[in-house]
This record gives sequence, C-alpha cells and structure tokens, in this order.
Amino acid sequence: MSINIRCATTDDLLNIQHCNLQCLPENYQMKYYLYHALSWPQLSYVAEDEKGRIVGYVLAKMEEDCEDNPHGHITSLAVKRSHRRLGIAQKLMNQASRAMVECFGAKYVSLHVRRSNRAALNLYTSSLQFEVSEVEPKYYADGEDAYAMKRDLSSFYLEKNATKEKTNKDVELDYWNDCKTVYKSDGVFFLAVSSMRLRSRLVLLEEPVKKASGTKKSWHGGKVV
Amino acid sequence: MPSSNPLPPKENALFKRILRCYEHKQYKNGIKFAKQILSNPKFSEHGETLAMKGLTLNCLGRKEEAYDHVRRGLRNDLQSHVCWHVYGLLQRSDKKYDEAIKCYRNALKWDKDNIQILRDLSLLQIQMRDLEGYKDTRYQLFMLRPTQRASWIGFAISYHLLKDYETALKILDTFRNSPMICYDYEHSELLLYQNMVIQESGECEQALKHLDKYSDQICDKITVKETYGKLRLQLKQYAEAAQVYKELLNINPENTTYYARLAVVERHTKPEETLAMLQRYEDLFPRALAPRRLQLNYAIGDEFKILVDRYLRRGLHKGVPPLFVNLRSLYNDQQKVDTIQSLVLEYKEALKAHGHFSDQEKDNPREPASALLWTYYYLAQHYDHLGLTEKALNEIDAAIEHTPTLIELFVTKGRIYKHAGNVQEAYKWLDEAQGLDTADRYINSKCAKYMLRANLIKEAEETCGKFTREGVLAMENLNEMQCMWIQTEAANAYKRLGKYGEALKKCHEVDRHFSEIIEDQFDFHTYCMRKMTLRSYVGLLRLEDVLRAHPFYFKAAKCAVEVYLRLHDEPLPDPTQAQEIDTGVKTTPKYSAGSERILVSEDTVFVYTLLIHKLIKSKLSEFIPSMTPEPHSRKRADHLQQQQ
Repeated sequence: MSINIRCATTDDLLNIQHCNLQCLPENYQMKYYLYHALSWPQLSYVAEDEKGRIVGYVLAKMEEDCEDNPHGHITSLAVKRSHRRLGIAQKLMNQASRAMVECFGAKYVSLHVRRSNRAALNLYTSSLQFEVSEVEPKYYADGEDAYAMKRDLSSFYLEKNATKEKTNKDVELDYWNDCKTVYKSDGVFFLAVSSMRLRSRLVLLEEPVKKASGTKKSWHGGKVV
Repeated sequence: MPSSNPLPPKENALFKRILRCYEHKQYKNGIKFAKQILSNPKFSEHGETLAMKGLTLNCLGRKEEAYDHVRRGLRNDLQSHVCWHVYGLLQRSDKKYDEAIKCYRNALKWDKDNIQILRDLSLLQIQMRDLEGYKDTRYQLFMLRPTQRASWIGFAISYHLLKDYETALKILDTFRNSPMICYDYEHSELLLYQNMVIQESGECEQALKHLDKYSDQICDKITVKETYGKLRLQLKQYAEAAQVYKELLNINPENTTYYARLAVVERHTKPEETLAMLQRYEDLFPRALAPRRLQLNYAIGDEFKILVDRYLRRGLHKGVPPLFVNLRSLYNDQQKVDTIQSLVLEYKEALKAHGHFSDQEKDNPREPASALLWTYYYLAQHYDHLGLTEKALNEIDAAIEHTPTLIELFVTKGRIYKHAGNVQEAYKWLDEAQGLDTADRYINSKCAKYMLRANLIKEAEETCGKFTREGVLAMENLNEMQCMWIQTEAANAYKRLGKYGEALKKCHEVDRHFSEIIEDQFDFHTYCMRKMTLRSYVGLLRLEDVLRAHPFYFKAAKCAVEVYLRLHDEPLPDPTQAQEIDTGVKTTPKYSAGSERILVSEDTVFVYTLLIHKLIKSKLSEFIPSMTPEPHSRKRADHLQQQQ
C-alpha cells in the first residue's frame, strides 16, 4: 500500500469517525464532523491506504473568537496503531497547518494533549515545534489534565510567499546575494538581514483581511468529551 | 394579523408576549399569558391563542396536550396563517415533514408573503429534496428580499440542483457584481462554487477562463491548482497540466493521485517512464514515502529486486512495524511475492548467523538486534497472508521468544488464528495484547472485536467500558457516539447465538444512526449559505442522498435480512406453549412470537428494498462473495483441523 495524504471531503466523514472511535477516547457525533467539513473545508486531512480505508486523519478548525489574531485549532488527530512510525501524523499536521495559513491567515495553531500521552507530546514538541503554553487542569472527562500547546506558523508564511513566483531555493539565493553585496557575508549580519526581510514579508501579509458584514451567529457544536 | 377573530388591544398585547416567550424559550411564562387570555369567556376558544399554547406545551414535552390545543385552535380559526404555521412547526418537530409542508402551504394561502413561513417551507423542501418546490420558494424569497445575500445564494443553488446551470450562473454573476460582496474567504468560496457549476455544465473551457480570470481572488490555492490540473487534462493541454501537478507535488509529495495524474499528462506509455519519474521525485523529496513506495508498483524483475531489497532493509533496520501492510498490495503478483520471500529468508539466515542482512556484508557493522525481530515479524505476516498458518505461527513464536513484550506480535498471533478460523484462540492473544497496554484504544477495540467474533458479548462490553464515559453503560455510551462497528459486530454475535431479538435491536440502532445523520443536514441548509461554503454544502446534499449505500449500513442491513429470513423460515415457538413445557421458571420473552411475525412481514420488505437498492447500485460481483461466509477462512480451518 502506499499511503495517500489528501484533503478530506464530506464523503470521508463517516470513515473518519470510525477511525476516531477505534483509536481515541474523545469521540464526537457526526454532526460535529459535518460542522468542521462545512465550516473549513480546506483544513482537515486524511491518510488512506490503497483500498481507500482511512488509516489516519487530522480534524482541524479555526478559532472564531479572535478576528484580529486568527489561529487554528486541532480538534482531533489519530493514526491507527497498525500504521504508526511512517510519519503520517506529522505530514497530516503540516498540510493542515499550511492550509490554515493559506486560507485563513492563521498566525499559530493550538491543541490539547493529555498529560500522560508521552508519545503525542514527543511528536508535537520534537517533530512539529509545538510548545506548551499552559496546563488546563481536569480538561478531560476522566479528570486528567491537558497541556495546551501552540505552534507558531510564520515559517509557512515564508513558504506562502515563496511559492507564488519563486521556489524556496530562489528565495534563499536572494537572501544570500543581499548579504554578499551589502555586508560581505558576515554571519551575524546575514542572520539579521534575513530575519528583517522575513519580518517585512510578514508585515505585508499582516494586512487585516476584510470581513464580510452581517451578523455571525455562534455555533453550538456537538462535542461530547 | 388577518385573523377571523382579532383580539382587543389588551389581549393582543398578551398574545404578543406569548410569541416573545416562545422565541426566548420562556415556556412557563408563555403558558401563563395564554391562560390569561383563555380565561376570559369571550376568548376561551380563541384559535391563535390555543395554537400558541399548544406549541409551547410541545416544548415542555407535553405532546398530546400540544396536539389537542393546536388542532382545536386550528378548527376555530381555519383562515389564520398563525394556526397553520404553528401546526406545521408541531409536525416538523415530530419529523412529519410531508405533513408540515402541507401546513405551511395552507398558512401561505392566508399570508402569501410571510418571510418566516417561506423560509421554513424552503428548509423542508430542500430537506425532502422537493427541488421544484424549493426553486419556487427561493424565487419568492428572492423577490421579497433582494438585498439579502442568502436570497441570491438560495436562488442560485435551487437552479444548480435542477441542473439549470445557465440560470444558476447568471444569478451568481449578477450577485458577484453587486455591492454585497467583500473580497475575503467567503468570496473566494463563492468563486470556487461558481467554477464548480461551470464544470458541471460541461463547459471545460469556460471553467478554465473563469479560473484564469479569478484565481488571484481565490485563497484556496490547492483547489485552484487541482481544478487547473483536472481541466487541462480534460482539454488535453498536457504540458500545462504537467506543470500544475509538479507544483502540487511540491506542496504535498505524499499525494499518490498527483503522481498518477502526472504520469498520465506526461503521456507515459511504459512503466519504465513512470519509474524514472518516481525516482526523480525520490531524489527531490528524500523524506517522502510515496515516491519510494510507488516505484515498487512499476518495477519488475531485477529492477524490482534491487528496489525492494533496499526498501525492506531500510524498514527492518529502522524497525517500521507497518512494513508488511505497506507492501501487501504487491502480493497479487506472484513473482514479486517470490522475490520478497527469498530476500527476507536470506536476511533471516544471515541475521541469525552473524547479524548482517547478507553474507557479503560480514565486515560491515552489525545490524541492531531488533532487525531479526522485525524480520520474524514480517515473515509471520507474509506466511499468514499466503494462508500458510503453520509457518506463520512458527515465525511469530520465534519473534515472541526474541522479544516477549512487543504488543504487535500478540496482535499478529491473534490475527493468524482468526484467519485460520480459530476465534477462541484469536481472542485470547488479543486479550493478552490489550493487557500489555491498557491505555491504547486501538488495541482495546481490536480485542473487543475479536471477543465478539468469539461470541463473548459480555466480555466485549466490559473491555470497551474501559474507554467509555463512567457512570453510563458501555453499550449506551457507544450508541450515543454512533459507534456502528461494535453494534454490527454485536448483532452478528447475537445472531450466531440465536438471540434474534437482540440482534435486530442492534441492527436497528445502526439504522437509527443513519436517520440521525440525515436529520443532521437540517441546520446546515441555513448555516452554509451564511458561511458560503457552497461546494461542501452541495457535497453534503449529494452524500446524504446516497448515505445508506455506505458499507456500514450494508453490513448491518445484511445481518438484519439474514435474521428476518431465518425467523420467516423457522418462526420462534409460541411462548405460551414454551411456558407449558418450561416447568416453573417464568420468563417474559422480549419479542412474543406474534409480534415477531408482524415484524417479519413489515420490516423484511423494508430491508429487502434497501438491499435491492444497494444491489443495483453496486456491482453484482462485489455483492455475491460477501454473502457466503468467508470461504478462505473456512478452508484454512479445515486444513488446520486435518493437520491436528
């Protein structure tokens, strides 16, 4: 089998729910999956095997409470035990994060993880650059604490700009040329210039996205922890 | 209010307060105000007040009284749109949508431009897929409220669903040029929806032009690129399409569809060309799994041997547990199976002798000790797949002896027994595995499944209970979470045990989940118009139209059909007779024979109809093998018995 990683569609939701029920203690009714797919169709990804069976998924959303600081949230991430150590979770997360930046201008992505879930903690911190932002006591139904974690997504902004006209390599080359001409490749200055360039790019992207007028009703999700 | 029986100002004020209480869910107050009006002998039979009181009672769960009041109110004031609307809402809350639609139509006879009633009607029409009716209602809403975004969107969608693409596109075009539009995510989604409508009208070139014109305004670049790829392929613009798929692979090198499409648009005629392309991508994305793995599909002979040798060594060295499942799809090619087998056997011997994958490497540093373990593990699954149970068991035992604490080994041992038809032994090994890591729900689920295969329903429930909410019965919680696989497995276990009533109960629970999911649509009819996620919304409508074609439904329906047929052929003994034979012990059977017979006659027809639908939709060949109990397992069970 080769694993296929692609954006999830409404047709995948029953199978995502099935995968969730097999793998994780936090489950949701179908309506909550529908809510994700119909609010942010770009953000959830699946990994399927050659027979089209879902072996892993990431269910993701945008937090809607803070319009000036948009950020994404991972509702649920699972990979079947039979398919672990192929790097699937990491790939799913990166695709979802990329889409959050591209479609919704997310600055960072957050998630919750059980304090006891060492494997997941390790994945988030060492492979995906998440950092613990706080501990939420008794977050889970069984009384366990959660780590609230965040990952800064500015590296995806660079990519977003770079892929418009140039490849990443070209951009790197540009930086390098800048440094050579102005600072004669002093290592320290090189870094400074690169990050300045980076920041100016970020500022360009930080222009607030115009919001549609009209009342937004809040959504009452069907989450059952 | 065009009521035949208008209230004087004081009572009218009270009536308005009832309406407000209903909207704010202050039902008790609502009833209080209704009583104040009705206690006046002059208005004790006031239709609209009675109707509103009924509606409020319904919200308090007093359904019978609710129907009484609403019907009485309606009889007293047949020309009131309020009474008809209320009756419609009551029916809707009972999910009697056809009846509710009739009520709304009557209400509109007396107040034809009532926006609220028209909106409620349109929701029911789309839910019931009365597409013509939906179009008419959306037209009226559009004419009444042309400044609202939802009016335009609903109007356009109604034409799209009727396949009148031209009108739908005209509406969308006019709407997009109106000042109601902002340039943001919602606009981006609207453009993609419009492009979807153009594509469905069959005008590929128009869709391409549309995309060229607006792609800058669309933030979902993946969909833009995927659409470009699809359209350019359809229009045979291969070079341009190839460029698009290359860009997509830069973003996501794990998407196997992109590679397949790239091979098509690069006009590959020989597998060697695709192989070369994949090798280029392996160099470009050394961390990507897909290009490395896909090469094995295209390579043959010596080339395959070199590639699979590298692939296997890498997996065994690193200890990748899914190595076998990752290669399993190659097993329909006997030559490839032979190559793999000879390679892995060679590794085993060499690793056992001197810790290297082959004798030629004796001078290199030794492989980690786990390499031999993973080799045993691979061989066990390999032999199991080929139906060689004895050999598979030998390998897995060698693995367990090597490392007695690896959960995967116990799972595999259980699976070998399952494939051989020995459900008892299978479940024991899964239980062992589950005991080694009680925090992993995947293992827990597998264990429960194997228990159910061995008809151990109580044990399975207890096992599942470790992951369900405390204080609630495990099965209840799983039902609430729509956990269909366990309900279907339990139904089959009950069926095998002859507990037909219990089996049917489980099947019907699954059926109810599907009804619920169809109900779930309701809120999204309005929600998606606000959110502008119209492509996904249309996707949802189309999914719901064929929802019961899902394999989960099919499995549960198949079980129900089998039980119903069995009950038809061999009806249960009459319980009164059974009691006469039974001395002393009084039992109340869950299903009396009489009710069982009724069930058979009505429900069998229902389930049969569903099955026939499914049959027509799926290919016959897919259906027939699944009706016979896995011949593969049976044969192997016989084989095993003979050996013993």
